[in-house]
Amino acid sequence: MQTWKRMWARNGVGYLFLAPWLLGLFTLSAIPMGASLYLSFTEYDMFTSPEWSGLDNYVSMFGDDKWRNSLQVTLTYVFLGVPLQLLFALFIALLLNRGIRGVRIYRAIYYVPSLFGGSVAIALLWRQLFGREGLVNTMLGAIGIEGKNWIASPDTAIYTLIILLIWQFGAPMVIFLAGLKQVPTELYEASTIDGAGKWRQFRSITLPLITPVLFFNLVMQIISAFQAFTPAYIISGGSGGPLDSTLFYTLYLYQKGFTHFQMGYASALAWFLLVAIAFFTALIFATSKKWVYYQE
Amino acid sequence: MNQRIRLIGLFAFCIILVFGIAGCGGNNNHESGTNNVSNNDNSNGNAASPDNDAASGAEEAEIRFTWWGDTKRNEVYNAIVDRFEEEYPHITVKREFGGWGDYWDRLATQTAGDNAPDVVSMHQFYVSDYARRDALLDMQTVVDTGELDLSQFPESAIDSGRINDTLYMVPKGVTMPGWAYNTALFDELGVDYPDMNWTYEDFQATSAEIYENSGGEIWGSSDMSGGQLQPNFRYFARQSGEDLFTEDGQLGFSADTLTAWWTMWDELRQQGVIPDAATGTEYENAPLEQNLFVTGQTALHQIPANQIYLYQQQFETGEIHMVRMPQLPGGDNGEYIEGAYLSITKASEHPKEAALFIDFFVNSEQSLELFKVEQGSPANKEMGEFVKPLLDPAQARAVTFIQETLDYASPAVYAPIGVAEVETAFKDNATAIAYGEKSIKQAVADFMSNADDILN
Repeated sequence: MQTWKRMWARNGVGYLFLAPWLLGLFTLSAIPMGASLYLSFTEYDMFTSPEWSGLDNYVSMFGDDKWRNSLQVTLTYVFLGVPLQLLFALFIALLLNRGIRGVRIYRAIYYVPSLFGGSVAIALLWRQLFGREGLVNTMLGAIGIEGKNWIASPDTAIYTLIILLIWQFGAPMVIFLAGLKQVPTELYEASTIDGAGKWRQFRSITLPLITPVLFFNLVMQIISAFQAFTPAYIISGGSGGPLDSTLFYTLYLYQKGFTHFQMGYASALAWFLLVAIAFFTALIFATSKKWVYYQE
Repeated sequence: MNQRIRLIGLFAFCIILVFGIAGCGGNNNHESGTNNVSNNDNSNGNAASPDNDAASGAEEAEIRFTWWGDTKRNEVYNAIVDRFEEEYPHITVKREFGGWGDYWDRLATQTAGDNAPDVVSMHQFYVSDYARRDALLDMQTVVDTGELDLSQFPESAIDSGRINDTLYMVPKGVTMPGWAYNTALFDELGVDYPDMNWTYEDFQATSAEIYENSGGEIWGSSDMSGGQLQPNFRYFARQSGEDLFTEDGQLGFSADTLTAWWTMWDELRQQGVIPDAATGTEYENAPLEQNLFVTGQTALHQIPANQIYLYQQQFETGEIHMVRMPQLPGGDNGEYIEGAYLSITKASEHPKEAALFIDFFVNSEQSLELFKVEQGSPANKEMGEFVKPLLDPAQARAVTFIQETLDYASPAVYAPIGVAEVETAFKDNATAIAYGEKSIKQAVADFMSNADDILN
C-alpha cells in the first residue's frame, strides 16, 4: 500500500500525461489485436457470430497454394528489395558524405521519395512509367530496345515493385549519412599514412564502424517491407495479378478478409505474418553479435 | 505543490485540446457525409411545410442511404435526396457513396459492425450474401403497412427482388446487358452492323473482319473469357441449358460448357483478334474514359444498356448502338432481369422512414425527373412512360433495347455464399490460359475442383 502511494506521488503526473496515449494503445491496438487473435481460432464471415474452429485456420493455411505463393512473392520482395535498397542508400550516402557543396539540398531531394513513396499517387505514376507506352519503354526505344508492358507481364511485375522499394531509399540514406559522420576522421588520416586506398578504407574502417546503423536500417526496412500493401494493391488494381505475381501476403490477407468474408482465416494469416516478422527479426538479432561492431 | 497544480492544469488543457480536436473531426465527418444538405437543414428548422400530411406531427428521424457510382451519379442522387428532404422535412438523409468495388467492401464491414445504413443499394450478385445472413428486412412488411407502393411494378420486376418468396429488394432501375458498337467506326471499316439476334459465330466473324479491315490496328473486342462470372459466361451457360449455380448452391454448369467457352476465346486470342493477355491486364481496371473501346482500340464492347449514353458522350461521331448478347444456335435465351435495387437493413431503427424514402425514389415524378435511366429503365410502368420524353436519343435507345430484350428474360438462380471466391478462381484460371500458363483442359479441371471445394 505504502509503496503504491509513494509510486503515485513520484510518477502519478507522468502516468496522467501518458493516459491519452495509453487510451489509444488499448482501444486502437491492444483490444483489436486481442480480438483478432480470438477470431483467428474461429470461422467468422462478418455477418453471423464467429464459430470456434480451433487450429483449423492455421492448418488449412499450409494446404493453400495461393497462400504459399503469396508468401513466396513477399519473401522475394523483402529479401531482394531490402538489401538492394540499403546498398543504394549507402552508395548515395557515401557520395553525399564527400563534402560536396549544397549537400543539404541534395539530401532533401533524395529524401523526398521516402515521404510519398508509399502513396497512392506514386503507385499510379508507376503504372504509367512501366506501362506499354510508359516512359521506361520510350527510353528503351531510344536506344533501340523494344520494351513490353512490365507491369502486366507475370515475370517482370514484381521487379517493378522492387524498383519502387529501392527508390524509397531516403530514410535509410539519412540514417547512413548520420552514421558516416560519426566515423572519426583521424582513422582515415592514419590509414592514408599507412598507404591504404579508398576501397581498403571503406572495407576496414567505414563499413565496420557503421554496422550498428546498417543493423538498425536492416531491421526497420525488413519489418516495413513485410507489411507493404499499397503499391501492390494500386498497381495490380487490388488483384495481385498478373497471375498472382504481385500477390503480396498483406494483399492476400485483405482479399480473404474483405472480399471473401473469411475474417477468421484472415486473422490467422495476420498472426502468422506477425510470427514470421518476429522470426526474421530475431534471426537478424541473433547473427548481429557476429557482424555488428560497437565502439567502446 | 504549486508545481503540481500547474502540471495538472497543463494536463487538463491537453485533454481539452485532444477532445477539442476530436470534436472538430467529428463535425467534419458529419458535414462531408451529409454534403450539401446544410441548406435544407436550415429551411427545415424554420418552416415546417404545412401542406404535407405525412410530415405533420411526425417525429424527427435520421436515416442513412448508400449507393455506388461515379461523380455524375453522385450529383443526381444527391439532388434526389435533397428533394426528398424538402418533401419530408422531418426526415434527414445522410449519404454515403463510393465506387463499385469499395462499396461492397465497406458495406460488408458496416454490416459486420452493426452500423450498416438504413437504405442500401443492392445487386443480384450480392443480395443472397446479405439475405441468407439475415441482414435485410422483409420489404413486404412496409408494403403491407402502406409506406411503399409497388402497384405500378410488373410482377416480374417485383419477383426479381425475391429470394425464396421473401421480398428483399425493389428495383431502382432494370437493365439488360448487350454488345455496343459505334456506327461511325463500322462504316469507316466497311463492316456490317451486327444483327440484333447474332450468334457466337457471327461475333467471331465480325471481330475477325474488324481486325482485318483495320489492318490489324483495331481488335474485335476485349477479352471477356474471364473476369466476372456474369453476364458473359452466365449467358453462355444459360443458353446451354445450365446456369452458374443450382438452387441448392452447387455449381450449375458442366466442365464441357466451360471448355467450350474458354476454347472460343482462346481461338480468338490465337488469331490476334482480341488483345493479348498483358494488354488485357493493363486495361482491366481502366476507367470508362480510358478503356480499350473508348480509346478506339476495340470495336465491340459488352456493357449494360443503361451505360449507352455514358459511352455516347465519349464519341464525337457516330451513334452507339446495342445488340443482344450473342446467341447459341438452337440454345435457350440467356436473358435474366438485371438492375440496381434498394433494400432496407434489418438493423434499421427507422424502417418506415426508409420505406418512405424508397417510395419517393422509385415512384415520384420529382425523383424520376432526375433519375431518368441512371441505373436502368424505371421498373414503375407509369414512371417509365413519364421519363420517356425527358431522354436524349442515346438514353431512349437504351430504354428500347431493355424493353425489347426484357421479353426474353426468365428467372435466374441467386448466387450462393462463396460466390466471390468462385469468381476469383474463374478469373485466375482464365488469366492462366491467356498467359499460356495452363492448357484449357488443366484450367477447367483446376477450376471445377476448386469451385467444388469452395461451395461444399
